Amino acid sequence: MIVLRGITKRFPGVVANDHIDLEVRRGEIHALVGENGAGKSTLMRILYGLYQPDEGTIEVNGRPVVIDSPRTALALGIGMVHQHFMLIPRFTVAENVILGSEPAGAFGRLQRREAEERVRELCQQYGFALDPAAEVSTLSVGEQQRVEIIKVLYRGAGVLILDEPTAVLVPQEVDELFVNLRRLREQGKTIIFISHMLDEVLEISDRITVLRRGRVVGTVPAAGTTKSQLAEMMVGRPVLLELEHPPVMPGDVRLEARDITVAGRGGKPAVHRVSLAVRAGEIYGIAGVEGNGQTEFVEALVGLRPVISGQILIDGQEVTHATARAVRLLGVANIPEDRHRRGLVLPMAVWENVVLGHHARRQFLNGAFVDRQAVESFADKQVEKFDIRLSSIDVPALALSGGNQQKVIVAREFSFSPKVLIAAQPTRGLDIGATEFVERQLLEARANGMAVLLISANLEEVLSLSDRIGVMYSGELVAEFRRGEATPQELGLYMTGTRRQTAGTGVSPS
Amino acid sequence: MKWRLFALQFATPLLAILFGVLIASIIVLAIGQNPLDVFGVLIRFGLLRSDSLLSILFKATPLIFAGLAVALSFRAALWNIGVEGQFYIGAFTAAYIGFTLKGLPIFIHLPLTILAAAAGGMAWALIPIVLKLRRGAHEVITTIMMNYIAAALILYLIADVFRDPSQVGTPRVRTPEFPPSARVPSMGPLLELFGLTGPDANKVNWLLPFGLVLCVVFAIVLSRTRFGYEVRAVAFSPLAAEAAGIPNARIQFLMFMLSGAVAGLVGLNDVLGFFGYLDIDFPKGLGFLGISVALLAKNNPLGVILAALLFGFLDRGAQGVQFFARTPKEVIVILQALIILAIVVAYELMTRYVRKQRKREAERPPPAATVAAEAGR
Ligand SMILES: Nc1ncnc2c1ncn2[C@@H]1O[C@H](COP(=O)(O)OP(=O)(O)OP(=O)(O)O)[C@@H](O)[C@H]1O
Ligand SMILES: [Mg+2]
Repeated sequence: MIVLRGITKRFPGVVANDHIDLEVRRGEIHALVGENGAGKSTLMRILYGLYQPDEGTIEVNGRPVVIDSPRTALALGIGMVHQHFMLIPRFTVAENVILGSEPAGAFGRLQRREAEERVRELCQQYGFALDPAAEVSTLSVGEQQRVEIIKVLYRGAGVLILDEPTAVLVPQEVDELFVNLRRLREQGKTIIFISHMLDEVLEISDRITVLRRGRVVGTVPAAGTTKSQLAEMMVGRPVLLELEHPPVMPGDVRLEARDITVAGRGGKPAVHRVSLAVRAGEIYGIAGVEGNGQTEFVEALVGLRPVISGQILIDGQEVTHATARAVRLLGVANIPEDRHRRGLVLPMAVWENVVLGHHARRQFLNGAFVDRQAVESFADKQVEKFDIRLSSIDVPALALSGGNQQKVIVAREFSFSPKVLIAAQPTRGLDIGATEFVERQLLEARANGMAVLLISANLEEVLSLSDRIGVMYSGELVAEFRRGEATPQELGLYMTGTRRQTAGTGVSPS
Repeated sequence: MKWRLFALQFATPLLAILFGVLIASIIVLAIGQNPLDVFGVLIRFGLLRSDSLLSILFKATPLIFAGLAVALSFRAALWNIGVEGQFYIGAFTAAYIGFTLKGLPIFIHLPLTILAAAAGGMAWALIPIVLKLRRGAHEVITTIMMNYIAAALILYLIADVFRDPSQVGTPRVRTPEFPPSARVPSMGPLLELFGLTGPDANKVNWLLPFGLVLCVVFAIVLSRTRFGYEVRAVAFSPLAAEAAGIPNARIQFLMFMLSGAVAGLVGLNDVLGFFGYLDIDFPKGLGFLGISVALLAKNNPLGVILAALLFGFLDRGAQGVQFFARTPKEVIVILQALIILAIVVAYELMTRYVRKQRKREAERPPPAATVAAEAGR
């Protein structure tokens, strides 16, 4: 029902889409996979009218169309679920849904009641668990995403585009999302789905189209295709899917939190009396559903959030109330969870972003001046090493694909031989090749005596990389395991608060 | 192909001005006059007479400082609407140091006077920025309030506290005169060597080159130094800057203080360079004009110079138009505003167009050799 023919889109220096042919059938879940920078998001933005193709045609229901804006796309029944939620926290679900297409009565009076009713109907029709009268600020990430989906449905879309919807979800939420998506498919909706998690892609989709460097490699049915086949199509070579985890003798304690409490919103502490210690040569994984205090915990550790009580030590040195700069100078690197807000200055060039936070190092300065040559040659090296796909290091960071933005941050944080690395969702948005590379880097750093605190919503990743695993629930560390001691199911029980270890039974660093 | 784009980029400001002229012509027609006459006078009077050139330079000087002051704050994502008030206070502190200190040589007295002006501007900028960084009060509101206070305070100081006693009983309300050691020397003698003479030759003073140097220095600081890098990071993304260990508050504080210091210098052109005393009727509104100058210059310190010159020209030309073309003064003010507005709009459209052309250029299929190299990567 949607046919793209010969779609080509060029950005300065790159061909993001190179004569792409794609056919999406009515009522199917069609997955789009490919390496970082392969052109998936660009193609979807074209379909949603955010970009204009340089060449090629689009047909919807057999009619050739020109989609010059999202408005036109919606009129054609094509809607996109934004990856970065655009919701107003203080509004209710219903208010957010109708925002921009408010049903106004006489004299422009907002018909709140009707709106709520309509949203409630939609939720019922598609089996979405959502209260239209709830304030969005009280919702979990998964629920907010549901609001975004309802928003698109409310505008009458028959085709839904979801660009990496699962990147921000925990496993349970992914399952719920998939239930919802199947329900939508049953009702005749068409779904285009982008993800780097091949297991998910194989599970949910009917057909899969693989892109590589802006071109279509092929479209295959999900049934009968294996993960490694798909990976090979994407990367163009076989990919190792398992990583070795050799034993490393842990050294001194590098990072220690003693009983720390961190303020949250509305008086209730976001982190409550958490203690943990990470040794050199150790990866400590924190598993937990997002929003259970991990963000605040990390911000407290790196000096971005005040600590109410307790102590933080780096290498035995107290840094409880130190500034972010001081903590960084002590050799603590941080891959922040929110790469757009914390990790990058999007309008600044890539070469400037690669040294952000390290720009004051002597090697990059020439007196008070930035030694542009030194920074650029450093940036070139990182681009090479981390395989960052870009046309030039002079482009602003916002022109990079999501995965390549993440690589810029990872490259920066790994570069200055930190003693401690605090990595929140380090592989979010990365393709399998890049994920493998980053995980390998983490293990290598561990072998070289770095202490790593890994915060990830991806249980598989936590389990495969960590030497010890702590589970955070509701701002507290409710359980701690050694490697191999816990199964994903067990962790899940702790993560959802169904179970907790009583205080003192945690494993101390060996 | 490259040169065409280059030429286009170069022509952008000119085309923008042309567009401004076009819009203004419509207004002139509407009031029943011949645009050719009006613009003829504007050009002939405003550009082709050497005394007009001098007048333009004199008028542009304070606007350079005002535009730079505003641009500095805008560059740090701060809205210093208080340049007006800061310049009043700066003018007063300069005058105070000017008439109270006596018997000093010029190379001590004059720098002290200029420093006093900068300090005055900074002092007036201090309250809004501290309120913002400590209490979150928005600087647009507080600086506007400070403008009112400055306006009233300066009248009080000139009229009631520091009024020149020798003038009491006359209608002149002003501070005592400064000794020559506190005055900025005129560039008249130098300009004369270049054949530029006229009644305004002595008005043009060494604050002009000082302002130009200041603009160049800030252009370099903002684009090339570590400090400039941090300013950009803070302005674009305070959260990312914070995470990178860049002290947001300190950077914003410094930039606002610099803005205030430069703002303090705005009044010197008239006070130290021309009158030699601070009159209650000293020129006002320069701080607000600075906002327009900065906008026109896109907050670029070098652009500020050009924008200030353009404002100076329009101002000078307007005098001629009023006199020779017998156009009402109000219409001229409207024309000035329209021309500026049209330039801003046209400039924006033109840069967009150039950018698009650029992109098209870049998208041209690259030569075969690079394609092969790409494929082999
Ligand atoms: N606005 C833009 N300006 C310049 N280049 C861009 C822009 N948007 C995307 N690109 C480039 O186009 C290419 C494709 O990017 P796109 O975002 O479509 O990749 P993607 O497949 O979604 O990757 P990811 O998996 O990392 O999200 C990249 O090389 C990117 O740098
Ligand atoms: Mg993408």
